[in-house]
Amino acid sequence: MSALKSIKRWFIDPQFSRKKHFLRSLEIFKDLRDRELGYLVQSLHSRTYREGEVVFVEGDIGRALFILEDGGVELTREGSRAPLYALKPGDFFGEMALLESLPRSATATATVKSHMHLLYKSKLDALLNSEPRIGVTIMSHLARLLSARLRRVNSDPKFIPAKNG
Amino acid sequence: MADERRSFPFLTVFIVGTACAYAFYRIHHALTPFVLAAAFAYVLNPILVRLEARGLRRGHLVAGGYLIAAALGAVAYSGLRSVLTDEAEMLQAKAPSYMRAIQKAATTQQVELAKRLPLPQSVTEKALEGAVGGTLEKLQELPSHLFALIPLLAHALLVPFIGFFFLLDGPSGVDSLIQSCPSRLVEQAIHLLSEVDKALGNYVRGLLIVVAVIFTISFAGLVALGVDNALIIAAISGLSSVVPYFGLVMGIVVGGSMAWYQFGTPAAFLKVAALFLGIRGVEETLVQPMIARHSLHMHAMTNLLVLILGGEMFGFLGLVFAVPAAGVLKALINVTWSWYASERGFASVDGDGTEIPYT
Repeated sequence: MSALKSIKRWFIDPQFSRKKHFLRSLEIFKDLRDRELGYLVQSLHSRTYREGEVVFVEGDIGRALFILEDGGVELTREGSRAPLYALKPGDFFGEMALLESLPRSATATATVKSHMHLLYKSKLDALLNSEPRIGVTIMSHLARLLSARLRRVNSDPKFIPAKNG
Repeated sequence: MADERRSFPFLTVFIVGTACAYAFYRIHHALTPFVLAAAFAYVLNPILVRLEARGLRRGHLVAGGYLIAAALGAVAYSGLRSVLTDEAEMLQAKAPSYMRAIQKAATTQQVELAKRLPLPQSVTEKALEGAVGGTLEKLQELPSHLFALIPLLAHALLVPFIGFFFLLDGPSGVDSLIQSCPSRLVEQAIHLLSEVDKALGNYVRGLLIVVAVIFTISFAGLVALGVDNALIIAAISGLSSVVPYFGLVMGIVVGGSMAWYQFGTPAAFLKVAALFLGIRGVEETLVQPMIARHSLHMHAMTNLLVLILGGEMFGFLGLVFAVPAAGVLKALINVTWSWYASERGFASVDGDGTEIPYT
């Protein structure tokens, strides 16, 4: 049995398994099956940002969702000294770019060395065609998030959604 | 934040891009195996991607795939060896009679024409001898032209070798590129890569389907018509389909000529021509709609223009790569334009229906 496990370990990519494990821990992807998470991992691009490196600037056209695996990111808005929100590992931001290519409403900056995964809009569109369940799961989560924010805006007109990149 | 929002230096990038394209043109002979290997790896990559999604290591998959391909190649060779040998021997045995038939036909036509032309006999004979003799000389030079293709055959070993390393690296090469890209340009860089991949991937996958369909149907059709060397003719027609319209022309010319010689009647030529026109019809009506989403959506005249330019600049490989290269260029222009428009603030943005109250 242990020999079988050793053989399996020799064939299985540990980095790939680690990424899948991380994605499964996120609320947005928790309903996905193992194989679907595999396809999702392949659709993501990874990048490490240095401390103080700007991820995107307010006003840039957004085209990707960012998932913070490790490190920290701060969202700020022009004219405001205090940060809008401090993101921690496991958080994601810039998700509205998956729905529409509009200018970013805030600037994102890495506060420490941070590792992120990017899900690009056209990759999600391709997933919607080839693996509809993945796309529908993500879209349904985004719809729920958007609805929750709208309700919050309705009940508290002074509320400004911070985590929308 | 205003200092961070510098506009992108489009002009600098355009100048650097043009210089790179010119440098590529100047040294394209040296880069040919690398371009072919990149295309080879690109075609095979989707298979690896499907298997990688199960969590398997890429290196093991590539090595295993090469071993399996070698084993399958050996088995296929041993299985097809008798067919290939028969076809080659048949071609070798009939080649002198083909040449004799061509010479005889040329001489007969020469005499007939000399009789019918209203010119002094010595003048017509001299003119026709020049024309016919020149053509026959060109036919005799054919082997030397074929030898000129030997460097391309040398790539048959080099391409899988270089392709092995391209396949091994896979997406890590793209990730390295993204890592070295300035952070603010990451999203645009992925956008660009994604659009190029979409254009190129769709074209290549569509083309492979067309080549396989043309090869299979033409082989079956030629066998049904009883034409000799069906496998070779089908292979020539299928492979030359990578150049638009070329597969049809090659099928009719090569297959039709073989059939005419074999059966001795023009009707045989017409049957083969009808077969290939039928295959073209099947391709247009049944195959193309299935792979319509794989098309590059380029006008037929644009296709023709890029084929002429590709052939003129890069020879045979230019003909093969002209259309996909034009597709990549189109994607580059589209992405750059949308980027430029958004930077300059005159791009239209999504968001219709926002005036409807939230309920």
